[in-house]
Order: sequence, then C-alpha cells, then structure tokens
Amino acid sequence: MLERAIESYESVIAWANGLRQQWGGDPFDEDPAKLPTLAAFCEFVGKDPDALVAFCFLRKRATGERFASKQRREELMPKLKEFEVAGGRGVEARRRRSHVVSFLSHNGVLIH
Amino acid sequence: MEFTEVVGIRRSIRFFDPERPVEREKVQKILEAMRLGSCAMNAHWLRAVVVYRDELDPDVFEKLKIPVAGVIMELAPVHIYCYGDMSVIAKDHGARPKQLIDIGALAPSHGWTHRFVDEFVWPQLLEPLTTSPHYPAAMAFDNGLCAAQGLLMAYNEGLGACWTAFNTEVAKEVLGIPDDWIPHYMLNVGYPLESREAGGQRPRPPFESLYFEGHVGKPFRRDEAVVEELKQRKMIQAPAPLPGRQQELRELARRLGLPE
Repeated sequence: MLERAIESYESVIAWANGLRQQWGGDPFDEDPAKLPTLAAFCEFVGKDPDALVAFCFLRKRATGERFASKQRREELMPKLKEFEVAGGRGVEARRRRSHVVSFLSHNGVLIH
Repeated sequence: MEFTEVVGIRRSIRFFDPERPVEREKVQKILEAMRLGSCAMNAHWLRAVVVYRDELDPDVFEKLKIPVAGVIMELAPVHIYCYGDMSVIAKDHGARPKQLIDIGALAPSHGWTHRFVDEFVWPQLLEPLTTSPHYPAAMAFDNGLCAAQGLLMAYNEGLGACWTAFNTEVAKEVLGIPDDWIPHYMLNVGYPLESREAGGQRPRPPFESLYFEGHVGKPFRRDEAVVEELKQRKMIQAPAPLPGRQQELRELARRLGLPE
C-alpha cells in the first residue's frame, strides 16, 4: 500500500512535527511502535497516510470549502475498532488504536 | 473544605480513574446541591438523569458519545445528563411564587400578594414567558446556577468533574426524555487520575476587562489586598501551566493507552 518510506508522507511529517511540538524529543525514536502501527492500519484500510487524511475531509459543493466530514469519520470508526480488536484486549490494544488516532488528530481529524 | 478553596480547586477534570466507582451518596449530594440553587420564581426547571457508565449497553454508550467528549465519557464512571423542563411554568399557573409568599420568602413589603400573582405575575409575566423566544435562555441561566452548585459539591467531595455535550437524540430515546425537556450538558463525574491541581488554575481574561462599576467602560478596579486574601484562602491559586504538566499529561496518556 505504501509507495515510499512512511515517514516521507506529508501527513506523517505533520504528525511528527505535532508530537515534537507537544512533547519535545524524537517521537518515533521514543516510541518505535508508532510508525509500524500506522503502516499496519494503512494496509488494513488500503490507503496511504495522506490518502487516509484526505478521506476524512470533503469539500462543500457550493463554495468548495474544505470541511471535516462526519460521514467519513463514521465510516472509519468501525475500521478503527476492528483494528483495535485485532490487536488483542486491554491497554495494549487501546494503544494500537491510539497511535492511529494520534496520527489523525495531529492532522486535524478528531476521531475516537 | 472551605468554600473559597472549593471554588479555587474547581477546574475541568478530563482524566478520571476509570476503575474507581463514585459512591452513590456522593452523587446524591451533588443532586442535593443542585436542588438548592437559586431559581427565578422558584420554578426549578432543572432535571437530571444519573447514568452509570458501566451499566450502559456498550453499543448505546458508543452512540451517546460525541467526538470531543468521547474520552472523558469513557473515563468518567458517572454521567449526569442535565435538562430543562419547559413545561414547569405552564403547569404551575403561578403556584410557586404563591408558595414563596406563604412561607415568608416573598412579602407584601415588596409588593408580593396572591392577588398580585393572579392579576399581574401570571398573566403578564409568566404566561407570556412560556411562549417567548427568550424563555429557553432565561431557563438555561437559572439551570446553570443550580448545576454549578452540584459541580462545586463534586469538588467538595473530593471528586472531579467536566461538563460535555452529548448525542441528544440518542439520549432522548435511551433515557426516556419527555418532549418538553430541552438538553443542556452532561456532567462527567469521577475521581481525578490527574493531580488535583490539574496543571494549575486556567487563564482568565483580565478582571477589569470583564467587570465594570457604574457603567460599561469604567472597569471595576481590582484591589490587590483582596486578591492577596483570596490567595491565602486558596481561591486564587497558582496559574497554569504548572511545572511538569506536560509530563503528567504524557504519563496519563500512556497509562491509559490514550493518544499522544
């Protein structure tokens, strides 16, 4: 699914910058599970990271204005749940989901 | 806890201990405090439905959540859904102000008599209010006063709390909400997992930009001696961000498996 190194996608760079700004340090060095988890989710939904973020936004027909789509978010939520469950139960599984949620949040998409 | 400290320590808590239940008697104390709130005409429009998170069907719970409140709702063991009952005034026909006259809260010295209620208060104030576009806002103000007392009681009892919105359509169906109740907010209640200071007292606009004396444009000047007294009495506390707050947030997120 990924056509190049995951850290080269614009949305992943935005994620890294967001994490760095929030917490300092090197986010992917400190938690090496982040990128592989995102890559696994991208594989699971069949979209690269930029496409995944783009999927969550639509444009208003009348004005062309970009907006975060509730409908798209709701489409993604069961996938996220499925992905979480596939990782087992408890905090570890939740963390797996949280890496993806964090990626989306730092790209302006709020999903839980 | 002293009143001043309760006011001072109150801040929205967003990290609750998800495993620690809230004692039912503490929930009752919150409701008791709400019931004693100030309310015009003693109308008491506020209604609340207490829901225990762990007793909710998981699918229903998912539907009740909204994105910005999802994590808070998941962590808080108790949810208090607050509504305004729009039917109160129409049902009472002025009975509540009359009750205030009978118990000696309102007196003829201030113009209050049963006849005054029948001739003026009901037909010219209260009945028109029920169809006024201003009615929901007026009711919501009073309900906020009552709800704020419950909020402060939560902190007095060592709990934390946070108001959030919720999916009102789902809640209406699940909780059996009557058609004439309008939704306000939901109070998430639990024991704080974050420190009581929760990073410090939140920033507020400058005092003089909010409050005036005599007319707008003449700020109510702040007496620093009063400020100092309120600091001593723990109402005015150290402002956010307190040192170590970012670390605390990160540790909480990791402990709970939440996004960073």
